[in-house]
Amino acid sequence: MGSPCEVLCEGLDKAQSRPLLEIATREAWRIEDKFSRYLGDNVTARINEADGKPVSVDAETAQLLDFANTLYELSDGLFDITSGILRKAWRFDGSDKVPQQSEIDVLLENVGWNKVEWANSKIHMPAGMEIDLGGIGKEYAVDRAAELLRNLDATPCLINFGGDLAVTAAPKLRESWRVGIESPSGAAERQIDLQSGAIATSGDTRRFLLRDGVRYGHVLNPQTGWPVEEAPRSVTVAADTCTQAGIISILAVLRGDGAESFLQQQDEQSWIVR
Amino acid sequence: MRKLDKRDEQAISTALATATCALLGTSIPAAVQADEGEGWDFNTSVLYYGEDENRVQDLSISAIGLRTFVDDRILSLGITLDSLTGATPSGAIRQDVVQTFTRPSGSSPYDVAAGTLPLDDTFKDTRVALTANWQQPFGETSQFNVGGSLSKEYDYLHLGVNAKLARDFNKRNTTVSAGLAFAHDELDPVGGAPTGFSPMLDVGDISNRTGKQDKQIIDLVVGVSQVVSRNIVMQANYSYSYADGYLTDPYKILSVVDPVSGDTIARTALPGIDGPSHVYLFEHRPDERTKHSFYVQTKYFMEGKVLDASYRYMTDDWDIDSHTVDLRYRWPVGASSYLEPHLRFYTQTEAEFYTVSLADGATLPTHASADFRLGNFDAITAGLKYGWKTRNDNDMSVRLEWYAQSGSVPAAQLIGNQASRDNYPDLNAVIVQFGYRF
Amino acid sequence: MKTLAGIFVLLICSGCSSMGVEPWERDVLAKDEMQLTTDAIEAATDDHIYFSKEASSGGRGFGGGGCGCN
Repeated sequence: MGSPCEVLCEGLDKAQSRPLLEIATREAWRIEDKFSRYLGDNVTARINEADGKPVSVDAETAQLLDFANTLYELSDGLFDITSGILRKAWRFDGSDKVPQQSEIDVLLENVGWNKVEWANSKIHMPAGMEIDLGGIGKEYAVDRAAELLRNLDATPCLINFGGDLAVTAAPKLRESWRVGIESPSGAAERQIDLQSGAIATSGDTRRFLLRDGVRYGHVLNPQTGWPVEEAPRSVTVAADTCTQAGIISILAVLRGDGAESFLQQQDEQSWIVR
Repeated sequence: MRKLDKRDEQAISTALATATCALLGTSIPAAVQADEGEGWDFNTSVLYYGEDENRVQDLSISAIGLRTFVDDRILSLGITLDSLTGATPSGAIRQDVVQTFTRPSGSSPYDVAAGTLPLDDTFKDTRVALTANWQQPFGETSQFNVGGSLSKEYDYLHLGVNAKLARDFNKRNTTVSAGLAFAHDELDPVGGAPTGFSPMLDVGDISNRTGKQDKQIIDLVVGVSQVVSRNIVMQANYSYSYADGYLTDPYKILSVVDPVSGDTIARTALPGIDGPSHVYLFEHRPDERTKHSFYVQTKYFMEGKVLDASYRYMTDDWDIDSHTVDLRYRWPVGASSYLEPHLRFYTQTEAEFYTVSLADGATLPTHASADFRLGNFDAITAGLKYGWKTRNDNDMSVRLEWYAQSGSVPAAQLIGNQASRDNYPDLNAVIVQFGYRF
Repeated sequence: MKTLAGIFVLLICSGCSSMGVEPWERDVLAKDEMQLTTDAIEAATDDHIYFSKEASSGGRGFGGGGCGCN
């Protein structure tokens, strides 16, 4: 996940909480091993290295691809799991290395979920294209781990994978879980009292390119190949599940200057930092 | 692909919830319930500070209100009410006979028994202090802070403004800050501020008094804080302070003594009038002071326990050097309370113009003060704090501390009989503070 | 003295860039008890007491004071 996994279990000592922690950790590693595009020898690698041939996938992968397909439709193409290869042109290291339009155009030819045939648990992707489930994986892992702990035990727990988190139940000794959301500017954090549900944040201000006074944020628009213009610095969303919170927050960031009006249309509570 | 109209395209909550259920293969466990923490946070305290032997007693009530706005803008408002009573050492030395002094107001006399340390018992004051502070982000990685302070006592008015800019570097692991503060303080002592080195006069004679006095103070602080590791954070500050104006304590005096016996020179008041029994001169300090401080602090998290250690070195152009070491160790007790022992060590050298008394007939120095706070002394604070979470998740704490000063007058300053007397007013105080945050 | 201050800040800073944590490793540092000033009122109280009883003040922040007690 590229970030540590934290599980807080209310009222348990170290030994008592160990089994719960182990279950959550094991689930996180399982999902990471299975779907990370950085690790070879998993289902993502099989799909990406198929070289134009169709690949049959297992039920869990199929569910994730179905979900990605729905998101692509819901977002009118803004959320696209094939957009990862654009990173080859963009290196967000605070420098002024903005790529040439020609470089981006070449990569764009291999971007677009609509070019992929996906039906009956079989994915058929043109050679040169790649999928990356990183945009869903972490939040999915949080929800999966929460579900496992909930089924095991009534102990109220909070599962936090690098700032995306869910709770299994309201705490007993106090009213709610108090979650501090660190602001990108580093000023005082915002306090959110969470009794049930999940919270996720998108946006990262430390990764950007700067040229001629224009700041290019790190979230890329898969249709243009360029960073989203006027992207908010961060969007935090509270939703029933971490997956929903994560998707709504990243979609808000992808809307750029339309983030506020997009968030207003949703039922979920959200906090935006410009 | 289904073509969506604008409204549908935007409102995705329902469709997303359905898709998520399909993905997770479960029904959604419980609807989200999240509230942003209350806008206001309050930090309040009641403090008792008491010195032994009927010296200063202070009862103080404080509250700070913190309002957090969107985009990390924070308003902080503070108020402190102090009620002070008790007596403070006047600067005069002990004698084997009764000493009579004129009160600072000039309107009546008071006696100090033979062999006891002369204390001025007219110390009684109420202080109201207000602070206001506004903090907001300044660009992407900086924060800007402006504030003001006002403090009013019967004989004193303080007005101050300050500003600070902090900038983060290196993934917010390094923060560099610079701040500037300016204060204008006005003193309007009871009976008027006495002229430096003028004698304490008979009751009713205020010919050596001037009106209001004031001073200006400029403070500059530059600092770096650094996250060293996941468990260690450090801070280092340099501060510069320049004060200009009336820096003398208008209530402090010096005994004028016989150059051989060391006893205070006796005098007689005009017939029919009360007045001082001995010769005392009002103290006189320089009208400028420049201080430099270096401060380092580190916090170290060790499996739930937190060590907080700091050291400060201060030096000024009055020749005072001081070292302060402060140690706190926070020890969790159970899940929601902690104990925190506290130790503080302090030592300072005396001001270049500090003197226990003035020899009669000798040329007056340019400046002189017998204020024990400008003398050579060590101090220790030892305390214990207990903090706990209340049922509704608020913080409460109570702490009890002892503060003891012990000083000495340089042997070379002692004349005749002074060597056999205790000339330094040691201090023992107790601090009790109750805090509540909600 | 100014040079000394300069060297001081420089010493502290050298090696800064190699220290530190990633944003997601701030769980411990974000705790209340790991803030440099844990309790603002207690810190102000201490500053005030020692300002009125000793010849030194400040260090942590501005010089404090603003009372007739010193």
